[in-house]
Amino acid sequence: MMDAIQAFLIPLLEPRLLGLIAIGTFAGIYVGAIPGLSVTMAVSILISFTFSWEVYPALALMIGIYMGGVYGGSRTAILLNIPGAPAAIATALDGFPMAKKGLAGEAIGIATVVSFIGGFIGIFALAAFAPTLSDFALRFQPRDYFMLGVLGILLVGSLSGESLVKGIFAGALGIGIGAVGMDPLTFTERFTFGIDGLRGGVSFIAVMIGMFGISEGLMQLHTVNTPAVKQKIGRIIPSWAQVRRHLPLGLQTSTIGTVIGALPGTGGDIAALIAYDHAKRVTRNPEVPFGQGAVEGLVAPETANNAAVGGAFIPMLTLGIPGDAVTAIIIGALFIHGLNPGPLLMTSQPDMFWFIVSSLVLANIFILIFGLTGIRFFVKIVELPRAVLLPAILLLSVVGAYAVNNSLTDVYWMLGFGVFGYFMKLYGYPLGPVILGVILSRLLDDNWRRAIISDLESPVRLMQGILTSPLSLALFAFILLIFLSKTPLWGLIFRRKQT
Amino acid sequence: MLMRSVFGAALALCLGAIPALAEYPEREIQGIIQWGAGGSTDTVARAITPHAEAVLGGTVVMQNITGGVGAIALNRVAEAEADGYTLLFGAENPLLYKVMGLGEKDYGDFVPINIIARGVPILVARPDAPFDTFPELVDYVRDNPRMVKFGSTGPGGLPSVVTAMINSVTPLDVTFVPYDGDGPALTALQGGAIDVMPAVLGAAIEGIRGGTMKPIALFDVEPSPQLPDVPTIVSTNPEFAEMLPWGPFFGVFVKKGTPDEIVAELVAAYAEAAQQPDFVDLINNRGFKMLSLSGAEAEAFLADWQSTTAWLMHEAGLTQASPEEFDIPRP
Repeated sequence: MMDAIQAFLIPLLEPRLLGLIAIGTFAGIYVGAIPGLSVTMAVSILISFTFSWEVYPALALMIGIYMGGVYGGSRTAILLNIPGAPAAIATALDGFPMAKKGLAGEAIGIATVVSFIGGFIGIFALAAFAPTLSDFALRFQPRDYFMLGVLGILLVGSLSGESLVKGIFAGALGIGIGAVGMDPLTFTERFTFGIDGLRGGVSFIAVMIGMFGISEGLMQLHTVNTPAVKQKIGRIIPSWAQVRRHLPLGLQTSTIGTVIGALPGTGGDIAALIAYDHAKRVTRNPEVPFGQGAVEGLVAPETANNAAVGGAFIPMLTLGIPGDAVTAIIIGALFIHGLNPGPLLMTSQPDMFWFIVSSLVLANIFILIFGLTGIRFFVKIVELPRAVLLPAILLLSVVGAYAVNNSLTDVYWMLGFGVFGYFMKLYGYPLGPVILGVILSRLLDDNWRRAIISDLESPVRLMQGILTSPLSLALFAFILLIFLSKTPLWGLIFRRKQT
Repeated sequence: MLMRSVFGAALALCLGAIPALAEYPEREIQGIIQWGAGGSTDTVARAITPHAEAVLGGTVVMQNITGGVGAIALNRVAEAEADGYTLLFGAENPLLYKVMGLGEKDYGDFVPINIIARGVPILVARPDAPFDTFPELVDYVRDNPRMVKFGSTGPGGLPSVVTAMINSVTPLDVTFVPYDGDGPALTALQGGAIDVMPAVLGAAIEGIRGGTMKPIALFDVEPSPQLPDVPTIVSTNPEFAEMLPWGPFFGVFVKKGTPDEIVAELVAAYAEAAQQPDFVDLINNRGFKMLSLSGAEAEAFLADWQSTTAWLMHEAGLTQASPEEFDIPRP
């Protein structure tokens, strides 16, 4: 116990480490905010950069970037409707409408505070229940991952807006886009038409930037001469009463985020989307409808994606299994620094565990500090004349799409999807489901194949498996429940009960 | 907006401002890693390069370009100038591109700078699997056809080669569950989604030490110094000896046509880097075997590897074209 406390205090007592965490978090917020610059990329660059350092400072910087980056994605999502990272997609759905109403400052303030809360719950789960949670996460079989994907795809219903049919069309299109390229399981080419450039698939980030950024920019050209909405600069730091009102939802979505983050096959992006759906289901009477600037629609994804950070460290520190792409790189960094992350790390080097927990806590506190300063300056961006703002969005989108893989092809994809997205918007097709489809495509496809192959390609055996495993059964029941709750039949039963 | 671009520029400056001296390298060198961040190729490439930079007196900017089983990265380097300013950090896969129909180029279009190390395959099982040794596994599969689940990672990967070796000696009727890499497959193994996985020792070593996976047999002719108690496959089934030692490898390559002086400088730099004690420790800790081959030795290693593996895959019916079409000699 004393050792744990001592290890926990290392970054607090050493000014250099504290400084590195602060620098990392600050840099992470900007890396996360710029679409195309990802935390994964920044952390891999840091491996070479911190090669000759001691392990503690190297980790302190990486953890700062990771934590800051996950939060930073919300910034551009709210201000420009361009999510800085996939985990901030759900944030744009209600964050950007808030900015359009002149509430950008309030939106960033809330996003910051709930990110802090979510991050803290994830870290708490890591510190208190890591072994239990990683055992639970490992129990997810391919069929469970598949059902998690199905649960995600049901979100099309929430994201469709006016027409469910158009939403389903958009979702299916997304799944189709996600299937393009060489299948990583069998190396078979799918939808590549023999074109070399399609082998690597369509970069998901390019689709995201195009569909959100470019299409929004094109839409705004319709109103290029109307002056921008004046931003209200009243209270930016949310009041305690407001935070308390959303705390119950925030706790639920943080739990969702932690668990989905701890699953080795899913990360913050899926966590945020499922949390958004959850918020939509449990919020009976939002003050503002979802999709038009509901605060709940901001609270859910921002708590979940930050909670997923602590979650992702759970299997990594207990078993040496990465919870997401960033923790996979941190495992590589630990190897380079002569440590052996695996099931024995917790017992052979408990100080490493507590050092990481403590650095995460500090990075989370720095998010609150850096996140809440300078908001007044940032909201001015939205007030810029469109003639200045739109070219800047275009530039940012091009740079972002190029930066993902240093590939011009991705820029063309991004522009193509931007124009396509513009026409989809014009004809009332929602864009959210396309992105959802692309994100979930691999999860559904890979795990369906694994599940059915494992059960000797027999649907009967697969159903038996689902019905005899408590975890699968719970997921299955949950899917049925959500599905039925959206059908007329449900309404009939529900109404009968009331009368 | 301004803040952001200023920050971006500052970051770019910090990363690129280390001055380059002498004739080569007179500017920064691009290092392209064929596999994703955090994997074995990535870890080894990023661990050896800082040492080589010190010898070269230059900067190597590392970048992961994934996709197409590494073919996208390979083609990117093949399209660059043959001037020594673009390095490829690759694994064994390109040697099978031709027979697998994945591309027209392979390491024949490159000059090996250093074949750094080789991995050792190991067959691991989930800890509660009802068999402990390879002969027990064979018996169990015979009694329970199709019921044992093997992880696989696509044709040409280590699991497919090890499986082809096993099938050439004693055909097993098992179910193959596909994963996109040995990392995810080993995770699934620990969760009980699959029963057996042929993996590289480095990826399994910590799990074996921690008891979350059970070693069945090491696919090598001699025991591993890291896990001396794990039996080799030849100790129970000597007929495997003719195909072993075999293993995936990784190395540094430049495009063919790069001036000899530059190749010589790079060879010297990476050979020295491979001897650095902390790098040697990393290679040993992760259960790899250091090779550090260059020149004719490296060429011979590549030719031998290609011939053994391509024909093994072809005889297992996993290839798109016969190795004969590409003049790959029979082993």
